[in-house]
Amino acid sequence: MAIELTNRFVDPAVLASISSIDLVAKTVVDGFIAGLHRSPDFGFSQEFAEYRAYTPGDDLRHVDWNVYARTEKAYLKRYRGETNTTLMVLLDASASMGFGSGPVHKFDYARFLASALVYLAHLQRDSAGLIVFHDEIENFIHPSARQGQLMRLLHGIEAAALGKRTDYRRPFFELQQFLKRRGITVLISDFFEEPDAIVDTVLPLRFRGNELILFHVLDPAEIDPKLREPALLIDMETSEAIETSPEYAHRDYRQKIQAHVAALRTKAEGAGLDYFLLPTDRPLDRALREYFTIRQGRM
Amino acid sequence: MSFLSPWFLAGIAAVALPLWLHLLQRYKRTPQPFSSLMFFERRLQASSKQRRLREFLLLAMRIALLVLLSLAFAQPFITHYSPVAGRRKLTVIAIDRSFSMRYGARLTEAKARAHALVRALGGGDLAQILAVDSHVEALTAPERERLPLHAAIDSLQATDHASSFGEFVRVLRVMDASSGMQLDVHFISDMQQTSMPPVFTDLVPGPHTKLSLYKVGSGNPPNWAVESVTAPARVYNGSPARVTAVLSGWHTPQAEKTVSLMLDGKVVASKSVTVPASGRAEVEFPSINIPYGQHRGEIRLSPGDQLPEDDGFLFSVQRSDPRKVLFLYANGRARDALYYKAAMESAPDAGLTVEPARLEQATVDDLSNFAFVVLDNPGELDAATARALCDYISKGGAVLLAAGSTTAQAGHVPLSGEAASFVHQPETVGDIDRGDAALAGVADFKNVQFSGYTLLSPKAGDRIVARFTAGAPLLIARSMGEGRMLIFASSLDGSENDFPLHTSFVPFVVQTGRYLAGEEDLPSNVIAGTPVELRRSRSAGTAADVIGPDGRHELNIREATSALSFNLDRDGFYEVQRAGGKRLLIAVDADRRESDLTAIPDETLALWRNTGSTSPLQTGAVERQSRSWSFWRYLLLAAFAVALVESIFGARYLKRGREVL
Repeated sequence: MAIELTNRFVDPAVLASISSIDLVAKTVVDGFIAGLHRSPDFGFSQEFAEYRAYTPGDDLRHVDWNVYARTEKAYLKRYRGETNTTLMVLLDASASMGFGSGPVHKFDYARFLASALVYLAHLQRDSAGLIVFHDEIENFIHPSARQGQLMRLLHGIEAAALGKRTDYRRPFFELQQFLKRRGITVLISDFFEEPDAIVDTVLPLRFRGNELILFHVLDPAEIDPKLREPALLIDMETSEAIETSPEYAHRDYRQKIQAHVAALRTKAEGAGLDYFLLPTDRPLDRALREYFTIRQGRM
Repeated sequence: MSFLSPWFLAGIAAVALPLWLHLLQRYKRTPQPFSSLMFFERRLQASSKQRRLREFLLLAMRIALLVLLSLAFAQPFITHYSPVAGRRKLTVIAIDRSFSMRYGARLTEAKARAHALVRALGGGDLAQILAVDSHVEALTAPERERLPLHAAIDSLQATDHASSFGEFVRVLRVMDASSGMQLDVHFISDMQQTSMPPVFTDLVPGPHTKLSLYKVGSGNPPNWAVESVTAPARVYNGSPARVTAVLSGWHTPQAEKTVSLMLDGKVVASKSVTVPASGRAEVEFPSINIPYGQHRGEIRLSPGDQLPEDDGFLFSVQRSDPRKVLFLYANGRARDALYYKAAMESAPDAGLTVEPARLEQATVDDLSNFAFVVLDNPGELDAATARALCDYISKGGAVLLAAGSTTAQAGHVPLSGEAASFVHQPETVGDIDRGDAALAGVADFKNVQFSGYTLLSPKAGDRIVARFTAGAPLLIARSMGEGRMLIFASSLDGSENDFPLHTSFVPFVVQTGRYLAGEEDLPSNVIAGTPVELRRSRSAGTAADVIGPDGRHELNIREATSALSFNLDRDGFYEVQRAGGKRLLIAVDADRRESDLTAIPDETLALWRNTGSTSPLQTGAVERQSRSWSFWRYLLLAAFAVALVESIFGARYLKRGREVL
């Protein structure tokens, strides 16, 4: 799909000035939807999707009798609304997510993304849940499509606070305990961990038939640090201090972070995971489009 | 290394600024939070090392720049000693030929010593002969040949001059500095005490001079001499002349001496006198009749001693009628000459008589018979009179012009033409230049009042001999051709001032009269070496002539027509005819300081000998020469180069830093 949507989205810096997270989600998603062409491949519930030959055991209520009258063959009429799935958003709230070189911190960006995703799921009548975690699970909202779920999710996202370190094992362990139904799991994090460890942690979910999307949120200054002079850097999670030079940050660090991103992408794709790098200075369309693509595949 | 302006070194303290900027500021780090340090390494990055190295290089260049600038402004210099080629050796043999060397056989002894020194010279040695008296004369150029040196020594004759060791050493210092040679000076002299300079440091020769002193004669020999004679140069009106003489003895016992006064070789008076031991005696001949004309006088004592040249003292005396002074006054002002004539006649020794005459009736065709002419308060002169007076002055005559109110009314000064105006303002006399011959010995013109005066405008070359209190010229002396002119800024008749009523008027009249008549340069005797003026300017006048004591003409044709003066060097009588025609008979006597044969003490001689280079002179010896080398320019160039490199380096450094950002 060659639709240029970049300009249809509001700049993340502008989103940051909107105080209400539900309004942020609505602004993002409405802008995204307004830019879509009407396509038979994309639609919402109660829209016709396809015909399928009748097989014994199928509910006769879904047989299209008009087709049967003309062809004497029984076909079932299916609607998209019948392909509802479960969206589980895992939001990393570790201290490193609080970093930001501009007006939008990584955690803000991640919250915008999470809110937009749950809002979009709500529009599609999908069940949506939320886990906010760092080294512990900060908030856990079970997936549901009931009335009021959206507000619970948005409130949970808005109330999320930064914690300490990141530990992927705890939230994924919890998730495995209750996630019986197949669905889409979105992990929003800065992934400051070894790629092998990340993939190994999340891979069990994939084996259960879940679609797993890794949204890698990074600040532009983390991808390409701009230091004017040697600096003393403090690790936001460990409070470790280290002195570095502009030359190192410009050359060595950039090479390392790029290698990390490439390794993570390779590992994730190799394990059947979807991986997307989201710098915080870019609009959220890629994330939403990715979700839509996955969502379509789940129908 | 030394510095001409060492206080600029304080600028080195400015290196604290780059040190502070580089070393202190550089390590001020503001901690910056960062999401994760998992991609950073705890080790000093290589680029940081390079950056630190570059910073240190930059710091070093900035410090070097400041230090170089401070050093350059402090103007350092290095005094280094470099070996230079050894000076060649010049042997200088200096022989005292002053008057005292006439004593006994001193000059012969000195010559013998000089010959011996010449014979002792090495084969290729350079040598030069100097003759020393009041000045130093090189009798030869530096010579390797012995013959010219011996000839110069043989030709040496004693003079009538006093010797001056100070002048001798001054010449040696000049030779030391200018010849570029080592001077091996051998000075042969009787080492008279009177030849020493007043300050001993004047005896210190140059650093490349080795001084050897040879004393001829021994002890302090006794000597009598006629030390001075006082006799009138001119006598007038048949009055007898009074002649006095002073006899002196140095290291002498008391002795009876006969003193004879001779005129033209004939003894006209004689007296016996007792000269005390090492003392003086005065002899007076109170009444000597001098015949008309110029005469050669001499005071001689007998018996003589080993220095007979100072046993007689020459003097000249002339008997003549008083010379006439023409006083010209304007019509109807016959009384104008009254005061002037009375003042002049009150001093018969002046030898001047005043002849008043009306300006309009005076015969000015031939003024050569007059000693000088007085113009009292003249108005406009007719052309013939002015021309005659100017011609008279240019040929050696003299005029005293009293420029009173009448002269001022004419608007200019007669004969000279400069503007004149009368100032109606009471005045008194201010400064008087008593060093000027026109008013030599004249006392202050105290309480002399002028009701007004003529404001004169001095010309270039004029001498203002006296001024009014307000500064305006009162008496101006001017040379015109061979003659003289005095311009008095008031009248002489007492109508515009009360000068004639004051006692100072007489000496003023007499002295200005003597000056205008040329009497001031007619002493009865002078010391050998005294110059006599032959003409006042090279452009005018006829040929001068000088006939020496031996009757020979001393001047060649060129000198006779152009020489301004002539040195009377020898003892005896000189007949001098000036360019203006005036003839003089001048008696010249040797400097009587030479008659005191007291020798310099041996310890003083030893001290003098040690002032020269005491190390033996070595021909071709290598000596060290000090040279100061100032290299602040090179430091400034280096600072410029460092500044250039620092600019380029710093610009690249900053550019690299910008690229990183």
